[in-house]
Amino acid sequence: MAIEGPGPVSASLVAVFFVAAGVIAVGAFAAAWRRDLTAAVATIPVMFAGAGVAFAGVARFAAAGGSHLLGQEFAVLLAIAALALVALGLGIAGREGTR
Amino acid sequence: MDSLHAIGFYVSSGVLLIGALGAALAPARGQRGAALAVSGVGLAGVYVSLSAGFAGAIALVCYAGCAFMVAGPRYRVVETVAGTMWRQLGAVGAAALLAALVYSALRADFVRANFTGGAFDARAVARLLLAHDVVATQAVALLGVAAIAGAAVAWRSRDRAR
Repeated sequence: MAIEGPGPVSASLVAVFFVAAGVIAVGAFAAAWRRDLTAAVATIPVMFAGAGVAFAGVARFAAAGGSHLLGQEFAVLLAIAALALVALGLGIAGREGTR
Repeated sequence: MDSLHAIGFYVSSGVLLIGALGAALAPARGQRGAALAVSGVGLAGVYVSLSAGFAGAIALVCYAGCAFMVAGPRYRVVETVAGTMWRQLGAVGAAALLAALVYSALRADFVRANFTGGAFDARAVARLLLAHDVVATQAVALLGVAAIAGAAVAWRSRDRAR
């Protein structure tokens, strides 16, 4: 009688959502916990990364047939928006803060 | 998803989470910038394993820029006036958010489907960005221009005042 080996490794939308939830929660925790506002601003890309992972996962595992790339598009826009918000936040902090 | 992509997804997710934890908990700004760069690499890996190679390339560039700004010499510290109680409430709220998201990921019923797009479908994403959802693209472009111009004005006005 042959012994069955382990099945192939796979990932599903649930795994994607787990990762997204963890990253968003880490970013939200840091934004709330940090006393330094500038350091809290730097966690915006972390939260946006979690949201982008969730959107890209939905685009990858969408069940409506065909390739629906709206999630990928939103992930691209989120990355650009994160860069812009960090630049603005650090610019304002550079005006108000101390070294 | 085949085994190679799944292994890439799990490894990249680990890198992303380690980078995110570093960006959240590291004491020095240089370490936080490096951790943000690591999280960008992990995020790009996650996107590539999810067949979103174009989004991965954009994320890599944007998060490298974020890391450069956070670790750069222009960084200034701004202390908050919020009390410890409020910050603890925020941290508890973040934990509750994690619990709610994990619960919804576990309990929801998802349909399985096959992905028919390519691994680096830049043309299709560009068609969406520049033709279908051009208003959203313009809004983000406007945000980017306003943010960079605002940051430059803020930095220059501080330098002039000194």
